[in-house]
Amino acid sequence: MVTIETILGHTGEHLVLLLTTLFVSIAISLPLAFASLYSKRIGYVIMKFANLAQAVPSFAVVAIVVPLIGIGFYPALIAILLRALLPIIKNTYIGLSTVDPAMLDYADGIGLNQWQILRYVRLPNAYPAIFAGIKFASILINSIAILTAYIGSGGLGELIFEGLVGFNNEKILAGAIPAILIAMTLDVIFTAMEKRLVPDYRK
Amino acid sequence: MLLTDLVDVWETNSLTTRTIEHLTMFSIAIVIASVIGVSIGIYLYSRPRIAHPVLNFLNVVETIPDIPLLVLLLPIFGLGEEPTIVASILYSLLPITRNTYTGLKEVDQQYIDIAHAMGLSQREILLKVRIPLSLPMIAGGLRIALVFTMGVVTLGGLIAAGGLGAALIAGIQLYNVGTILVAGIWTGLLAVILDGFAGTIEKKLQRRYGTW
Repeated sequence: MVTIETILGHTGEHLVLLLTTLFVSIAISLPLAFASLYSKRIGYVIMKFANLAQAVPSFAVVAIVVPLIGIGFYPALIAILLRALLPIIKNTYIGLSTVDPAMLDYADGIGLNQWQILRYVRLPNAYPAIFAGIKFASILINSIAILTAYIGSGGLGELIFEGLVGFNNEKILAGAIPAILIAMTLDVIFTAMEKRLVPDYRK
Repeated sequence: MLLTDLVDVWETNSLTTRTIEHLTMFSIAIVIASVIGVSIGIYLYSRPRIAHPVLNFLNVVETIPDIPLLVLLLPIFGLGEEPTIVASILYSLLPITRNTYTGLKEVDQQYIDIAHAMGLSQREILLKVRIPLSLPMIAGGLRIALVFTMGVVTLGGLIAAGGLGAALIAGIQLYNVGTILVAGIWTGLLAVILDGFAGTIEKKLQRRYGTW
């Protein structure tokens, strides 16, 4: 019998790991994407690397982190970051760089400086792409956060793995169902946020 | 020195067998997913009214984290290769279906009009115009599916399906650094090589059929 406290406790751990990672990866990704907008070379390196790293299975990344930085919460965080950064950077960069050139010319024409163009023209027009990246990353983080229970990060994965080892179906479901609900909630939240942020003329 | 260590780790974990297991599951999943995915995509295209709900449903499947999906399949398929292959197929369906459908829909109206004027029937237009022109899109979807499948097959190691995931888990549980690194890096390399291979095919198709 899995008590409700156990489920809530594991869900709490899971959410802490998930939100920390999501926050850190957004904080790192956005500046990098802005940087690659103004330097072709950084952009090229980031895109090449993004495509390469996207092909490596999460489990391989999680495993390789272990001999390098050990096990526990922080190694898990690093492993997830390695996988989650790239979709956000890639999408942000694509979104920012594919803004209609005519729009940029108008902005230039009415005398906005580079910073204002980024803030008032490029960013609002890139929101759909940026949110697509963040949404994808958050779902990815959610599933890797389960996997990292294997290297001692705690969270819902712990319930699932304990259940798998002990052939305890109840425990497996107690871990799996909250994870699925979290994934769906994330999707709904980010879709709502995107709807609010995207300017009216884009809808 | 390093090479002998490498061979040693490779031998003790019988990585050759593991790789073959891995690629077998991988190929089965990809072939089945491609056939089903492309068929659903073409079918949805001919039934625009149900296209939206079906794609939405697949979107929901895609948001389910991979491990819960695997364990939910356990009671139905038991342990081992079957649930791993089924989960891989479910995961790969969305990108393949979505890209096939989008590719067929987005074909430039001009080509369709010309084909009409030449007196081709709807079916001929689909086979001779729409499908060839949407091949680059379909290839893009397959490439995404390839990456997903590689990951899910690795997770199969958790539920006794063998493959390279099993070697990774053995390494983590015994805390054997050599095993973890060799198996992990090899899995990564394999994925990157396959992805590169798929990328080349995608580029070839784009050069041949791309209309952009």
